[in-house]
Amino acid sequence: MSAISIRNLSKTYPVPFRRLRAFFRRAGKDPVEALRDVSFDVETGEIFGLIGRNGAGKTTLTKIVATLVQPTTGNVSVHGHDSVADDEHVRRQVGLATAEERSFYWRLTSEQNLMFFARLHGLSDRAAKQRIKDLFARLELDEVARRRFGELSTGNKQRLAVARAMLASPPVLLLDEPTRSLDPLAAASMRELIRSLATQDPPVTILLTSHNLAEVETLCARVAIISRGSIRAIDTPRNLRDLTSESEVVHITLANSEKISFTRQHNDELLDQKIRELQSAGKTIVDVETERATLLDVLEKYEES
Amino acid sequence: MKSLKLLPRRIFAFLARDFRLYVSYRMQFFLRILSVLTVVTTLFFISKIFAGFTDPQFSQWRDPLGAWLTGLAVLNYFMTGFSSLANSIRQEQMQGTLESVLLTPINLPTIIVASSAWDFLETTFFSFLYLFFGRVFFGVQFRGSFLLALLFLLLTTVVLACLGILSASFAMVFKRGDPFGIFLGAGSALFSGVFFPTQLLRNYAGPTLGNISLLLPPTHGLQGIRQVLIEGHTLSQVTQPLFTLLAFLVILLPFSLWVFSRAVRRAKREGSLIQY
Repeated sequence: MSAISIRNLSKTYPVPFRRLRAFFRRAGKDPVEALRDVSFDVETGEIFGLIGRNGAGKTTLTKIVATLVQPTTGNVSVHGHDSVADDEHVRRQVGLATAEERSFYWRLTSEQNLMFFARLHGLSDRAAKQRIKDLFARLELDEVARRRFGELSTGNKQRLAVARAMLASPPVLLLDEPTRSLDPLAAASMRELIRSLATQDPPVTILLTSHNLAEVETLCARVAIISRGSIRAIDTPRNLRDLTSESEVVHITLANSEKISFTRQHNDELLDQKIRELQSAGKTIVDVETERATLLDVLEKYEES
Repeated sequence: MKSLKLLPRRIFAFLARDFRLYVSYRMQFFLRILSVLTVVTTLFFISKIFAGFTDPQFSQWRDPLGAWLTGLAVLNYFMTGFSSLANSIRQEQMQGTLESVLLTPINLPTIIVASSAWDFLETTFFSFLYLFFGRVFFGVQFRGSFLLALLFLLLTTVVLACLGILSASFAMVFKRGDPFGIFLGAGSALFSGVFFPTQLLRNYAGPTLGNISLLLPPTHGLQGIRQVLIEGHTLSQVTQPLFTLLAFLVILLPFSLWVFSRAVRRAKREGSLIQY
């Protein structure tokens, strides 16, 4: 069974009180179609990336999985539980971390904030305290445990959001740009944490949305590209890149600083052949670089189309 | 079943959170105590104007200070029952924390009960303070069964909490303060006998306006509480306001829960839980 199963999901945000507005001849906005016939599965322990431009539908999709928004048609199930009919059960399975700073109580400390949410999850005070302590250690938040949320740096606020999502040890984590406000070192350790969650026993399934395409490429086994509410492609990052461009540029640097560049097709033997030629000519290779299409190129291609 | 088992822990979570938020503004607590004392003292001096003038037909108003203090203490409680949930939903919407709360595996009845728990605790304290200051500083006498008075207080508060749930549904959908609040706030003070006997309204304004008071649950709650605390009536003598309140409860409780679940569903459909 898939950890997350999404079938023919569509979401159109209705215009509130549309008939009333029409009655008073007030100009109204049109309903907004945020998602259109989205279907995919995320397997247990998989880190699945969702990329797309602002307004593409990533947040709506995440919120539907988290039961915060109801779909117009289609359905989402998490470990077999429907997100509408069995929403309470789904909420036990899912932790959501967003970059939304307003989702905490600013006058409470980090610890008090997490304690409140731990109790709502049904954790006993003893279990909650231990869990919070572990999470603070894991996310390097010990020093700010007793500081008010409003006094935290943006990066620490973001880490606290991830800690909250992990409070009840949910088998599914929805991470919305988890490294957006982190410094490079903190971002690296966050990526390491995400990787370790997916490989631990039992593994955590992660749906990751990010604008950091390099991060998605590094972390995710599969990536979905979403554009104007529709899924345009789902595959491994490598296959997505290959779909965009069948060739790559190779730069070889020799010991005497001489540089040789050429274009090769994926999976051809041109690179092996060049290396053999250079070695038989007695030249020493010090570096080989390839310029491949990136996920950005892939994203641009789908946006253009 | 599991939700029911976890209910005390979740109520405690909200209580602990709200207590911590409350004490983060310490001055407010002391200013409010001072304000209750000021109101009680002012009413004491106003009551001296009416000493000896009370119409014998208004037996509950022989000691106007006692009647006012009961009225104010109870009105305070009723208004909390009525407005607490709407206020806390509105506040969570404005703070942006409503989504985070709704992300946890708690059901709607738990949210309804737990969100208001602190307000009730706080109001119990301040309502008690009205009676306490009246008794200790100005010699107001209360008699009768406090348990029976408490039963009336609880029943009326639950009935008003149902109207509060309707009010919260309004806030959830329209993202605005609601019209019920204005109606019940001003309406209770004018029509429910908080500051003067409801019979006076009927005598001066005619039966149509006078009968409005009968449609308001606080009228029956206050009548019951004063009958018990001021006139010393027993259970068998207060069945009329008791059954009226029970009738309000039977109608309003299922209706308000149904409306609230519809309001949450609508907000989820519109994706507007976090909007304000």
